[in-house]
Amino acid sequence: MARSQQPEERPRPASTAAELTTAAPAADATIGTQRPWHAMTWLVWAIAATASLQIAPSPVYVALVIAIATLVVSVYGLDSPYARAYPVLVGAALVFAALRVALTALTTHGGPQVLFTLPSATVPDWLGGFTVGSTIEAPIVAQAAYEGFVIVGVVSVFAAFNAVVSHHELVQALPCAFHELGLVVAVGIAFVPTTITAIHDVREADRARTGGRPVRRGRLVRQIVPVLENGLERAITLAESMDSRGFARGGATRAEHAAAWCGAAGLLALGGAFVALVAGGSDVALALTIGGSAAVVVAMVVASRGSDRVRYRPRRLTRADIGVMVGVSLAPVALAVLSATGDDTLVWVASPLRWPTLSVLPVVALAALCVPLVRRPPALGRSAVPAAARATTPEVMV
Amino acid sequence: MSAVTFRGVHFGYPDGPDALLGIDLDVPAGDVVLVVGDSGSGKSTLLRATNGLVPHSSGGRFSGTVTTFGRDTRTHAPRELADVVGFVAQDPEAQFVVDRVEHDVAFALENLGLTDVVMRRRVEEALDALGIAHLRGRAPSSLSGGERQRAAIAGALAAAPQALVLDEPTSQLDPQGADDVLAAVGRLNADLGTTVLLAEHRLERAAPLAHHAVRMDGGRVTATGLPGPVLADYPGAPTVTVLGRLLGWDPPPLTVREARARAHAVGAPGLPDAPVPAAPAAPGDRLVSAVGITVVLGGRPALREVSLDVRAGEVVALLGRNGAGKTTLLRALGGLLRPERGRVDAAVAVGTVPQNPNALLFSSTVRAEVRETLRLTGRDDPAAVDHWIDALGLRAHADRHPRSLSGGERQRVAIAAVAVGGAPVLLLDEPTRGMDAASRRALHDAVVEHAAGGGAVVLATHDVELAARCATRAVVLGDGDVVAQGDAREVLAGSLFAPQVLRVMPPFLTVAEVATALAAEGRS
Repeated sequence: MARSQQPEERPRPASTAAELTTAAPAADATIGTQRPWHAMTWLVWAIAATASLQIAPSPVYVALVIAIATLVVSVYGLDSPYARAYPVLVGAALVFAALRVALTALTTHGGPQVLFTLPSATVPDWLGGFTVGSTIEAPIVAQAAYEGFVIVGVVSVFAAFNAVVSHHELVQALPCAFHELGLVVAVGIAFVPTTITAIHDVREADRARTGGRPVRRGRLVRQIVPVLENGLERAITLAESMDSRGFARGGATRAEHAAAWCGAAGLLALGGAFVALVAGGSDVALALTIGGSAAVVVAMVVASRGSDRVRYRPRRLTRADIGVMVGVSLAPVALAVLSATGDDTLVWVASPLRWPTLSVLPVVALAALCVPLVRRPPALGRSAVPAAARATTPEVMV
Repeated sequence: MSAVTFRGVHFGYPDGPDALLGIDLDVPAGDVVLVVGDSGSGKSTLLRATNGLVPHSSGGRFSGTVTTFGRDTRTHAPRELADVVGFVAQDPEAQFVVDRVEHDVAFALENLGLTDVVMRRRVEEALDALGIAHLRGRAPSSLSGGERQRAAIAGALAAAPQALVLDEPTSQLDPQGADDVLAAVGRLNADLGTTVLLAEHRLERAAPLAHHAVRMDGGRVTATGLPGPVLADYPGAPTVTVLGRLLGWDPPPLTVREARARAHAVGAPGLPDAPVPAAPAAPGDRLVSAVGITVVLGGRPALREVSLDVRAGEVVALLGRNGAGKTTLLRALGGLLRPERGRVDAAVAVGTVPQNPNALLFSSTVRAEVRETLRLTGRDDPAAVDHWIDALGLRAHADRHPRSLSGGERQRVAIAAVAVGGAPVLLLDEPTRGMDAASRRALHDAVVEHAAGGGAVVLATHDVELAARCATRAVVLGDGDVVAQGDAREVLAGSLFAPQVLRVMPPFLTVAEVATALAAEGRS
């Protein structure tokens, strides 16, 4: 996929030692360093894009959002291993959507425009009593594909967000009370791209072992066991590294204990509110909701105050960041206005079957999601790679 | 004063044999202490005990006391020793917590609860001390091996610890990267007085740096003292030391510089001017050949019109820096990668051993792992299993779980598991990573024997000593091009990273050649 920097693409060894010392730093300076937009900006972008997908789920607009997400990854997903996960995640979503179409088409029947008829079987009543096979109708297939496509859109926005955001920046932007929890989650997410790399390595090793002769029997075990065991070994090494560098040192302070109790009480109250709501006691539910929410807020404040954690060079939001946030927020807002004023191209209905229509205003609104692409720092300029030159399989060279 | 003291330390891993048997050791403050020993001798365990990872993280049976800068590790967990001991484990890749070098370096500082001003200063100092300030904004995964190792050390150094503990910091690196890392470590010790505890297998570069050496064997410390005497009779000693031993230089030299001085002063009485010429081997049949292959990876050419013939009876060493295209060429020869242009003709089966042996291991015992390949290839040759287990010195580990072995041992299991398939051509990617002296010798013998039996071996390696000992032909790659190619002796002689013997007594390439020449001279 669109990725201009692979890990092995460090400055190539120069032919002489003298060249090496002068060439290397210069080359390094141009490789993606500071991410151009703040993590919170990307978070707002992802929320805006997802909201746009919900307001305008017509396939043409979903395709437009996917295109924008792909463009964002190809421009900003520089040296991030998550960018390599982007095509994998989108591919997985496509497979999921296709499966969903097949299952829906096979089990949902009725309506006009029968495409073809398959042999059918009806499952027994105690399993639901529906018919598998039989007639396959175009509107049902189209409707399922349409819904699946929206899911692909959401996944591609999520994957693009992960490819371009610095997870560490995101952790730093969290309230102090969540710092350690956030770090653990970020470290967990980091296992996704490394696992994808590991799967590739293991599959290749499996082929290499027999001298290129493909063996299918038992392949799953031969490939899954090493991936899992490598992941486990990695996790242990990482845990030891974090421990050796003083993670969670000093234990919990009194303020953190107080916050924990306060938070637990708040959550208990909110749970009670839900029970009260189900049971019909709306006054009690309201009181519990207010009390519980207040306790949770107090817990967060106390924990953040009590924490003596100082962050190293937290990145600040710049004016340009705010500008981008406002810009991308315009997309869902404008779409919502269009939706309220009765633009019927935003949503597509499969029955009666017709082509989705494209109108200008929603396209203009969605173009607001490209705002992060408009201003690009010069250091990140060299990202376009001819599609033909890209490798389909990343090489790993340690 | 001692930085770390061990008193009567016994330790065994859970469900495992004892790893440390009564260690009594003082690590003097302010010195570089080198720990040597074979795989499984307890080096890593000893290192991990200094900051309490053993027993806090490992579990197991622990007795005795380890005192690190006055703190007892039984009552202090690793996180409570983070301000006095910086620890860097073997695999640098898995140690990064944050995806930017600068912030990863600051990780320990944030945990120690330092102020913003102190953190900023410490991070700058750590980056400068390791010479990686220009990499501060990069993701660790995008760095080369040497850069990554230095970034990991910077992460341990930022907390300004009084001691740094490094477990085989150069085992994954090319000679250039290894030099960079060890030079940085030496500088830290000289400038800041940081105590350094270092475990290593490849001693050519590390030995000259050390003030003290500790030799371990089977969980015991068998010798301590100055590096010269401790390493004098150690099988894994630097090649010049082995040479000095052969020529009767006493005490044997540790560095090329010392050896050269000795060669000038004493010389080698009875040694002829040139090695005994080996009978030129008749070129065998062409087994696999690459014809003008170009491979593009990630938009950049990884190989540019490279041609290479591998003939029966040959051992070809592929040399070159990290990223020069060695692995790519091996993958292309092994049919794991389709070149953009050119073609690979393989007359026989080609087996490839990947750089990372972990990608291959899934069975519950070493023997089952080796046997699995026979099952996959449909061969019925139980004798081959025993042959390769013996050839690679794995007999003692045959019934152990492959994952419980050390890195070098796993590498040998992977080689045995591929070789047993009977492919006449074997491609080995960086086979000596993390291997001790005995393993390297076993590998060397197995490679030479395989080639002598009509097969061929291609080694992609940073280990010039290995290349000098077993290669018949050397190919140097640079930036995807073949820079030099030909007879191993001619190619290595012109290299900046020539083997040590060649640098001390040219035109001899290996200790074995010197020994053969001496014996021949003695007879005539």
